[in-house]
Amino acid sequence: MELKNLSIRQLNNLFVDKKAKPSELYSDIFDASASSESLLHAHLSLFEEKNLENAKNSDKRFEKGESTGLLDGIPIAIKDNINIKGELTTCSSKMLSNYRSPYNATVIEKLNNENALYTGKTNLDEFAMGSSTENSAFGLTKNPWNTDYVPGGSSGGSAASVSARSSIGALGSDTGGSIRQPAAFCGLVGFKPTYGTVSRYGLIAFASSLDQIGPITKNVDDARIIYNAISGHDALDATSIDNNQTNIPFDKSAKIGVIKELMEDGISDESRNEVSKVLENLKKQGYQIKEVSLPLIKLSISIYYLIAPAECSANLARFDGVRYGLRVEGKTSYEMMQNTRAEGFGDEVKRRILLGTYALSAGYYDEYYGKALRARKKMIDEFSNIFNDVDYLISPTTPTAAFKAGEKTSNPLEMYMSDLCTIPANLAGLPAISIPTGLSKEKLPLGVQIMSKPLTDLSLLNFSEIIEKEVDFNTSPEGLEK
Amino acid sequence: MSDFDIKNIAKLASINLSAEEQEKLTNDLSIILEHVQALSSLELDTNIEDVFIHPLEKELKLVEDIEIDSLTHEEALSNAPESKDGKFVVPPSME
Repeated sequence: MELKNLSIRQLNNLFVDKKAKPSELYSDIFDASASSESLLHAHLSLFEEKNLENAKNSDKRFEKGESTGLLDGIPIAIKDNINIKGELTTCSSKMLSNYRSPYNATVIEKLNNENALYTGKTNLDEFAMGSSTENSAFGLTKNPWNTDYVPGGSSGGSAASVSARSSIGALGSDTGGSIRQPAAFCGLVGFKPTYGTVSRYGLIAFASSLDQIGPITKNVDDARIIYNAISGHDALDATSIDNNQTNIPFDKSAKIGVIKELMEDGISDESRNEVSKVLENLKKQGYQIKEVSLPLIKLSISIYYLIAPAECSANLARFDGVRYGLRVEGKTSYEMMQNTRAEGFGDEVKRRILLGTYALSAGYYDEYYGKALRARKKMIDEFSNIFNDVDYLISPTTPTAAFKAGEKTSNPLEMYMSDLCTIPANLAGLPAISIPTGLSKEKLPLGVQIMSKPLTDLSLLNFSEIIEKEVDFNTSPEGLEK
Repeated sequence: MSDFDIKNIAKLASINLSAEEQEKLTNDLSIILEHVQALSSLELDTNIEDVFIHPLEKELKLVEDIEIDSLTHEEALSNAPESKDGKFVVPPSME
């Protein structure tokens, strides 16, 4: 079997047993991207030459029996809104097309400590705002399962990279589903950790109370390995928390809740059937399953599209043509700023900045932003109550399988609806994972989402692994190299 | 949405918009704002004091006030569109 198709643990065993070398894997991975990149455009930059030396250093450590752990020599792709010192971090925006980060994000420092390798930076919707990776200023990314379709977003480049075997795993960021939705569309595992357990330092902020970095991988164990490496309290992120995990049962004594509101209107039969298939399987194994209701979930898009744009309008105020990024000249500083922002931001980013500015403006704050915050608090309370009754909540990850490129670009609200199932976990700070479970009629992947209460990430991963084993989904897209 | 003034919002957000963009964005934002009106039917706790800044923690953790290494002056200016004598250069504030 080709090295690029193996899991992190399988690769590590081969390296330790001296049956393969990290540099061989590295070549394998770049051979894959050489054949797929022109079709998919998963990456904005590739680091083949730059990391070759590091791959050889990994070889030497394994030769001497001095490897630094499971991620030593493992090639990982990084979403291009996460800073790697000395490299471009464009956020897929004209605004930052020449921005070279002078520092590493905390997650990069942590991966450096593990001697992980980087394949490159991956494409995204501009500033992580979107659900299809069509909002990139540098061209769209395509779905490896069928290039007429979108890979999802905003971490679509990361998902396409892993799916095409151009990296073993990838980091994405998830503000309303931007890890889980592309993972589901590309037949992969996508994990959004409990808010605050992974540092956001060095992640270019979109909506700070919702953003969270996490892994996109071929399987649950790989996601666990990357999560263990990147999580932990960080004094450089004021919202970072101690990762004191609570164990909840994941064997047959675990209680499973099916979210009624995410099995109703607005969800395709195909997405619902995937959930039913998983539930049937769990029932056979002896798990207790009950239907639960979270009425506020139906309003989560409304809550999100007030809070996220409000935070975005504040966060993106820093792009003013003074300290970094694009500058378009003007006679005065203010004119320069207005021209720069007009030229530097794409349509969706402008839409969200203006929406957020309006929601925060004098006279409307209470009616929009204040109300959304209170509704968010109420939704968190609903989740807390439900988690007194059940350990895990199951739903589809997405209302449908991947849609065709261009299908939803003219209707922003329709595009926003594709995050209906994933947004609640961000609003409530919950850990949530998408696992690939089957294919649609068009042979596109579908995923099932599982959520659990805050700080039960490791139990959630253990439980997900049980489902993954039963479903036995083949994550390799067919026909990519044709 | 009769009082929705796209020119004023664009001014607050410091973004120049073309006439075409103004029309398109007014339309888009009206549709989105109509959708979020669904929240108006909710009965919500009006005690704004309860509103959090972190979905899980009531209070954020403070760190020790100790000096740590940060960006050098040169690094901080390395991405500036224009700099001189260790400072950012901007156009005049008034004509």
